[in-house]
Amino acid sequence: MALPIPARPNPALGQIPDSYKYGWHDDEKPLQIFNKGLDAETVAKISRVKGEPQWMTDLRLKAYRHFEARPMPKWGADLSGIDFQDIYYYVTGTDKAVQSWDDVPDYIRRTYDKLGIPEAEKKYLAGVGGQYDSEVVYHNIREDLEKQGVIFLGTDQGLKEYPEIFREYFGTVIPANDNKLAALNTAVWSGGSFIYVPKGVHVELPLQAYFRINTQNMGQFERTLIIADEGSSVHYVEGCTAPTYSTASLHSAVVEIIVKKGARVRYTTIQNWSSNVYNLVTKRAVAHEDAVMEWVDGNLGSKVTMKYPSIYLLGERAHGEVLSIAFAGDGQHQDAGGKIIHAAPNTTSLITSKSISKGTGRTSYRGLIKVYPGCEKSKSTVRCDALILDDNARSDTYPYMEIDEEDVTIGHEATVSKVGSEQLFYLMSRGLSEAEASAMIVNGFIEPIVKELPMEYAVEMNRLIQLQMEGAVG
Amino acid sequence: MTLTQTASALDAEAIGRIGDRFEEPDWLRSLRGQWWDRAEATPEPTGQEEEWRRTSLADLPRGAGLLLDPPLLETTLPPGAAEAGVILTDLRTAIREHPELVRRSLGQVDGPASHAHIWALAHAAWTGGLFCHVPHGVSVDGTLVARQTLPQADAAFHPLTLVVAEEDSSVTLLDEVVSPDGDAGWYGGVVDVRAAASSRVRYANLQQLGDGAWRVGAERVVVGQDAVVTTLNAEVGSRVTKLGVDVLMMGKGGTSKVLGLLAAGDDQQIDINTVQDLAADHTTSDLLYLSALYDRAHASFYGVTNVRHGTRQTSSYQECRNLLLSPQAGAEPIPVLEIAANDILRCGHGATAGAIDPAMLFYAQTRGLDAGAAERMIVRGFFEQVVAQIVDETIRERVLAALARRIGAAASDQVAA
Repeated sequence: MALPIPARPNPALGQIPDSYKYGWHDDEKPLQIFNKGLDAETVAKISRVKGEPQWMTDLRLKAYRHFEARPMPKWGADLSGIDFQDIYYYVTGTDKAVQSWDDVPDYIRRTYDKLGIPEAEKKYLAGVGGQYDSEVVYHNIREDLEKQGVIFLGTDQGLKEYPEIFREYFGTVIPANDNKLAALNTAVWSGGSFIYVPKGVHVELPLQAYFRINTQNMGQFERTLIIADEGSSVHYVEGCTAPTYSTASLHSAVVEIIVKKGARVRYTTIQNWSSNVYNLVTKRAVAHEDAVMEWVDGNLGSKVTMKYPSIYLLGERAHGEVLSIAFAGDGQHQDAGGKIIHAAPNTTSLITSKSISKGTGRTSYRGLIKVYPGCEKSKSTVRCDALILDDNARSDTYPYMEIDEEDVTIGHEATVSKVGSEQLFYLMSRGLSEAEASAMIVNGFIEPIVKELPMEYAVEMNRLIQLQMEGAVG
Repeated sequence: MTLTQTASALDAEAIGRIGDRFEEPDWLRSLRGQWWDRAEATPEPTGQEEEWRRTSLADLPRGAGLLLDPPLLETTLPPGAAEAGVILTDLRTAIREHPELVRRSLGQVDGPASHAHIWALAHAAWTGGLFCHVPHGVSVDGTLVARQTLPQADAAFHPLTLVVAEEDSSVTLLDEVVSPDGDAGWYGGVVDVRAAASSRVRYANLQQLGDGAWRVGAERVVVGQDAVVTTLNAEVGSRVTKLGVDVLMMGKGGTSKVLGLLAAGDDQQIDINTVQDLAADHTTSDLLYLSALYDRAHASFYGVTNVRHGTRQTSSYQECRNLLLSPQAGAEPIPVLEIAANDILRCGHGATAGAIDPAMLFYAQTRGLDAGAAERMIVRGFFEQVVAQIVDETIRERVLAALARRIGAAASDQVAA
């Protein structure tokens, strides 16, 4: 039965201007760039260029076969714009990661200066890594942490310098035959961060990595591995931007985290890719006895994001949290969420999601809570709120739950609302413009998540939301 | 009773023979034929579809023969209803006595998209069913009751229920089905409810099939302008239940309450897919499904609230709560929202799964109840959120009596009885 429902555009709501301020690119020729497209030879060549041990070459080729054999996901966002043969799989402007910004090639250094990374490093961070296209160009950690045995390196460097630890953990959380995009990452990974925090060491300030795509039609496939040994703690923060091109870029990262007994890891992402980037990322952590794992996941940029950070609660009393915030503007689809697998008794989890869609943007919360039999006294709460700002914006909620244990407390709740005319009227009667009032309401809506961010990121998040909101109302 | 070919051997010719056997009019034969073509053009679910991932039809007892002679259907009308022109009778009698009325409504709408094949199959292969028609402006006081008793377990039966409430009418209908325990059988059960403008419809479906039955059916409710509709699905029996419920809020200002009560034990699997389709301005649709799960029972719920683009001021809520009463019981509640409009009054959902709060049990026991009685009282209290919304006394009593077979009678009901 067809129902003719007229579309009624709201004339009061204008278009958002292109407010993306990281859309420039460098024209410098990269040092090395492989031909577009992917085959087994390209996979082997990446391994060869990096001078990797045979086991890694073999693993890459095995993963490549899985990538080829697996179908593209049919659910979630529209991925039809991706042509795997029209992507550069390896592009680098340097041949090594250095520890001083002075040694980074000038044109790359200028990019990081514009992004304000060296400045932030001095002020708030315990260590910084920078990746430009395929390779890590800069990596540095404070000396006192290095002395305590904290390792913070580019992942390629980690493989060279700590082969035993690397091989013990790499691919154990996300194996080579995981989903299609994760398999692709295992086949062609390059860059990312390798972090090991020894027993009982607390890294008080965040470690940060900053990812930049520069080349058109670039695929960035960084691979991050974090191991927090017993009783240790660390907070890792990543940011990402890219130039605005008319053709698609692909960012397909894999992040594996092992949180050992009594350890604590927080992983914060502020994703601000330009609107031509497909951002398809697999992030997974395992939390052992009494461990705490937290994902703080902010998705503001990209054309399409499909990302569901997950936590396997493997040890008793382990706790997992996902704080997810998504903002989809015109033409964007943020398909984000989180997964928590309760695989031990007395485990607890919390997922909080806040999503905002504007213009023709679409946000989808997609999540899973799974409780295995025998995981008694597990508790989980999922809370999703969505704000729809325009007539053509859309919001979906897909909260999956699989509960196979009786003695549990599992709850999910969601609300969807619009910016109420009463709220707007109230604020405008206090002298705010409609745009300011809308932005203030949006800021209030995401406040519970923003307050979990380190100060400079909270400021950055508020500023990005402000930019997204500019011109929201006519 | 005649069992001809097995249900799995249905083809266009067999559909034609149903028409021959009952000497059906041409329009009806042609309608069956069209729906058979639809059934063939709509493939059976493969298990890849989102709504079919949790229940496989691999073990569906397709070998059971199609029940040709319609089983016993008892209908009860409250006094004065027949005189006011209300019709409640088996579908075949209705076709004989009111051909034009039936022809106008039968097989005119699509069923839930997830159950399109099942909907089409039932419209082609039905051999029995129920017809309820309430004329324009007629309000029925009291309860219409239809009770269908299947004579044997090992049969395939695809009955149709067609409920038509004309403008400004008001009706309350209890639609019950009972079958014996034992062998595996296949019970379809397709329900088509039309609530015209400004009508008030309360439709309750009480399913007490035997423990071998596969209940694979669908319900479609179309709610017209300013109509107020309450539906209740009380699922007590069956081995496997796989039901699609689709409520289309088609007219401005319509209201629906979509209620469900599930009491399952042993190895029962209940899988419900709902759609609340908010397609018109100022519509309201609230869904509440409550499941009490014993033994190794497993309940899945995949519900979608769909707020269509361009609609204004709709309100909706979707709530699914599961009480797990055994360590082997399981639940998968998945309440989905798909919202393509921003001018919404209210939209939300909630889902829970968990055991009885031990503090509640303890409290009840300190008041002198034994553990069993305390549990029964708490389960009955859990159901109260829906039971309190069943305003019709006949329906409430019948539903509670049926649930008591699984949950036991709570002290409060025994007093009331």
